[in-house]
Amino acid sequence: MSYRNDNRVALENDEPRLEIREKVTGSAKYTTDYYLPNMLWACYIRCDFGDARLRSADVESARSIHDVLEVELEKKSARYHGDRIGYICAESRQALEQAIAALKMKFAASWPRTMLEEERTALEDLEPAENDVQAENVIDTCDLVVQGEFQTQVQTHCCLEPHSCVVHFRGDSAVAYGSTQSNVAFRDDLARELGLRPDQVEFHCEHVGGGFGSKFGMDNEGRLAAQISKKYQRPCRVVCNRKEEMLDTGNRPGSLQHMRIGLTRDGKIRGGKIATWGSVGPTGGGGGVSNPSRYDFGTIAKVHQDVHIDGGFPRAMRAPGHPQAMFAIELMMDQMAVEVNMDPLEFRQLNETSELRKEMLRVGAEQIGWSERQPNGLSPGPIKRGFGIGVADWGNRPGTAAIGVNVYRNGTVEVLSGAQDIGTGYRTMIGDVVRTYMGLPRNALVVKVGSSDLPPGPASGGSVTSRFTAPKAFLAAEKARNRILELVAKEWKLNDASGLNLEDGRIIGQDQSIQWKDACQLMTGDRIAILSDEDGAFGKDPTGSEAVQFAEVAVDVETGIIHVKKIVALQNVGLPVNRNTIENQICGAVIQGLSFCLFEERVLNNQTGTMVNANMDMYKIAGPVDVPEIVPIIWREQREVAVNSLGEPPVVPVPGAIATAVANAIGVQVRSMPLTPRKILTALSEKEAKS
Amino acid sequence: MNSFDYHVAEELSAALAEYGAGQATLKAGGMDVLDLIKERLIEPEVVLSIDRLDQLRYIREEQEAVRIGSLTTLADIGRSELLARKFNAFHSAAAHAATPQIRERATVGGNLCQRPRCWFFRNRELHCLKKGGATCFAVEGENRYHAIFGGGPCYIVHPSNIAPALIALDGSITIASVESGNREVKAEDFFVLPEDSLYAENILKEGEIILEISFPMAPLRSATIELREKQSFDWPLVLASVARLKKGWHVCLGAVAPIPWISQSAMDVLGNKEITLELATVAGEAAAIDADPLEENEYKVQLVKVAVRRALMAAAGLEVPSWN
Ligand SMILES: Cc1cc2nc3c(=O)[nH]c(=O)nc-3n(C[C@H](O)[C@H](O)[C@H](O)COP(=O)(O)OP(=O)(O)OC[C@H]3O[C@@H](n4cnc5c(N)ncnc54)[C@H](O)[C@@H]3O)c2cc1C
Ligand code: SF4
Repeated sequence: MSYRNDNRVALENDEPRLEIREKVTGSAKYTTDYYLPNMLWACYIRCDFGDARLRSADVESARSIHDVLEVELEKKSARYHGDRIGYICAESRQALEQAIAALKMKFAASWPRTMLEEERTALEDLEPAENDVQAENVIDTCDLVVQGEFQTQVQTHCCLEPHSCVVHFRGDSAVAYGSTQSNVAFRDDLARELGLRPDQVEFHCEHVGGGFGSKFGMDNEGRLAAQISKKYQRPCRVVCNRKEEMLDTGNRPGSLQHMRIGLTRDGKIRGGKIATWGSVGPTGGGGGVSNPSRYDFGTIAKVHQDVHIDGGFPRAMRAPGHPQAMFAIELMMDQMAVEVNMDPLEFRQLNETSELRKEMLRVGAEQIGWSERQPNGLSPGPIKRGFGIGVADWGNRPGTAAIGVNVYRNGTVEVLSGAQDIGTGYRTMIGDVVRTYMGLPRNALVVKVGSSDLPPGPASGGSVTSRFTAPKAFLAAEKARNRILELVAKEWKLNDASGLNLEDGRIIGQDQSIQWKDACQLMTGDRIAILSDEDGAFGKDPTGSEAVQFAEVAVDVETGIIHVKKIVALQNVGLPVNRNTIENQICGAVIQGLSFCLFEERVLNNQTGTMVNANMDMYKIAGPVDVPEIVPIIWREQREVAVNSLGEPPVVPVPGAIATAVANAIGVQVRSMPLTPRKILTALSEKEAKS
Repeated sequence: MNSFDYHVAEELSAALAEYGAGQATLKAGGMDVLDLIKERLIEPEVVLSIDRLDQLRYIREEQEAVRIGSLTTLADIGRSELLARKFNAFHSAAAHAATPQIRERATVGGNLCQRPRCWFFRNRELHCLKKGGATCFAVEGENRYHAIFGGGPCYIVHPSNIAPALIALDGSITIASVESGNREVKAEDFFVLPEDSLYAENILKEGEIILEISFPMAPLRSATIELREKQSFDWPLVLASVARLKKGWHVCLGAVAPIPWISQSAMDVLGNKEITLELATVAGEAAAIDADPLEENEYKVQLVKVAVRRALMAAAGLEVPSWN
């Protein structure tokens, strides 16, 4: 691994996040921290069951509660637990809660659809893919055919900062705060709802406590807050409680994946048939699964069905369709490796589509100690050790954004971006790009993000924010630096600034130098203002954000309890800017992927459709003791590359890496997530019964 | 949650008087009571907090007994060198329960009296048998965490980590009320099965407050093994507390039955014998003999065998399999 540094890049930066002090002291303001004077509160009235009809509700009692302004029931039937059937508006949260209780709603529930495996169209009844015959032909000519079916569960979004909005409509303008992945979309949605132009809405979102794909537009919370604020010409606040957050803000849909793949005896995959089913809401779609992907599967006939379930709707969630696909794919890769009697690492190398990832696989194997891997199920003792592999990549093209850089006479450099920092460290990344390119220390820097008044940024989805904005920030930094160098050149009576350099806060010429601050005093106006919305020479060739992970697990075969010991996570991020924020993204993704693989699961009661674990104790999320040693490795390419995607790719390989490690440990694959003790023990006893 | 008046008791006698009057809901650390209020499972008009009654917060060694005040927190127990040394089963059950934050608030009295974690019970939407409804949703529903012993008509598991150890160590509970003064009951007589009492999990009557728990004497050996899905912020799937008292081994299981489940079958096998791997294994098997699992919780039978075996091995100082 090596990396060629030059003066056009920002990297090797170990400084903490810019907003570390605010986050640690609690002074960072989230949407829920805004309590405006004279503010109203509103919430939705929600259905208790899956497929249900409202039989009765005591609306009059609810309306008569002190401080309740409105109780409106808008529909009688609902399709899932948490479905919105009306709303309440009141002077206080207490009044809202009392009104909900006073409603004493009674529902008549029909038998709900809760199980993907029961609701799907059977494999043999699915409409065949166009190339079905071709794929069958390939299978027919293969030496070996391997098949398996894999299942993944519904993972709820469960953002720590709930979906929320505070709106103040003032007649011909509005100020609003919302928790969002897109300031621009949120503002535009609000403007439409309020009957205003976008420029009449001032929208703020300085910090976000988790979005992961569930917070793009103004959403239901913004809509209700806007409607109430407009109606009463007062500020209004709508904030989901924990249960609402679990029920109605989206999820990663569950999946079933059937794979039948043919291969040659020497281990080359030739093709086959893949059917996937995704569990979506009571209507609509969104359950796609990215299977096949990454490895070279040859000729594949793929069919997919979205299956309706009477539960909350799916939404994009950190690499939608990918982690669940790679769970199935990696297990399938291991199974095929067994069939051809090959080491799974070697088998992957043989069928890998990316040369870069082949190299990453080699390095990762060394880091985890792959050579210590025992054949499946053969490690000694009741606590069995296993190793597994997962891979990923991520692609996107350059896109639009604008970055502002202001240099003030006192030397302060202000970086402006209307994109939002959804917790990723975006603010730090963009600031570090500008200041390290300009050769300035952090204390010269002010970064402002997360407001609709700032130069527009992209929606933070598809891992594009840094990818789109970093080249613009480089270009803005270059322009700003050159403007100051030109002032200095003029002062020093040089023909041009070409011989000048800016390093460590000093501008250095052939035989003289000047402090940055003093150089800035040379400007005549208040500031030099640069706005950059082009990539210029900084729009370099992107990488594929390739990811390779190796997991080491210990499984107690007497109890079925899994202990993930270590995950080595290699990640290509293109040009690395700030080590802390990069490692933070990788480790966060590994924890989220582990939590998905081992614990998280939306449980709908089969008789009522009620989600029985819509809270954070029975919906199980990995805790500190469950987190393994994580070794993030920032992969360096030999060529010059642009800043690239990092948000999504590192979550993709985790379930596959852990599941294959578990299978290696216990000698049998558990093909249904989450990998609970119950499933491990069942798989082990089935294996024993067979033998 | 509904609005309620919040009273903070400064004196035990005042607390007993107010609680005895029957209007107030009692709160100690509040970990469970607040959960219930937030989900509107209870809608108290008055919450009486006793968490400032420091006279109920102690761990005291006397000649004949060790006494622990009911407001002692699980974290206090975790910090007690005396309990770690002499009452390992109890100490480790408390010291590893839940999370450090919860242990700092959770009290002994509250832990013994916390309501079940059954996910049908905990949801306001579902009006199950225990809440006066007509159905136990666990019977045909998602019952992976429910009872494998002693169930019917309700299949909760008792959620307390410390109760099985208290019983295994032959502990007692001292209860006070204005009406009948103080009384001491054996811990094993404190809890009641749903077939005897569907709506309450213990014998406490209106107005009664737990003052303290006590152990008559230190066991020769004791240990608790807890098997969990997640290693932090979670309840056990199965827990086994074992203790060798003068007359022989006691075995009590947690998270498997509506009450802490005394495993007579395991105790019959063990008698007062020295533990070997073989004996521990046979005792584990015996502990699972009468299990009657539901559709999704058969795996807990295996966990009972392992938990009992390992708890006995740990108590006997034999090596127990571990990750490290
Ligand atoms: C995430 C999470 C994980 C947890 N994991 C575990 C675990 O693994 N093991 C475990 O055992 N517990 C666990 N708990 C539960 C926790 O330990 C209990 O909620 C806590 O011990 C209750 O004690 P408290 O003092 O807060 O009780 P409170 O909430 O104040 O009271 C609980 C009940 O006891 C009654 N009560 C309180 N004190 C007395 C008294 N002196 N006399 C009579 N009645 C009284 C109250 O009226 C109330 O009904 C967990 C909790 C959470 C939130
Ligand atoms: S187990 Fe008990 S608490 Fe749970 S649903 Fe059944 S009756 Fe209700």
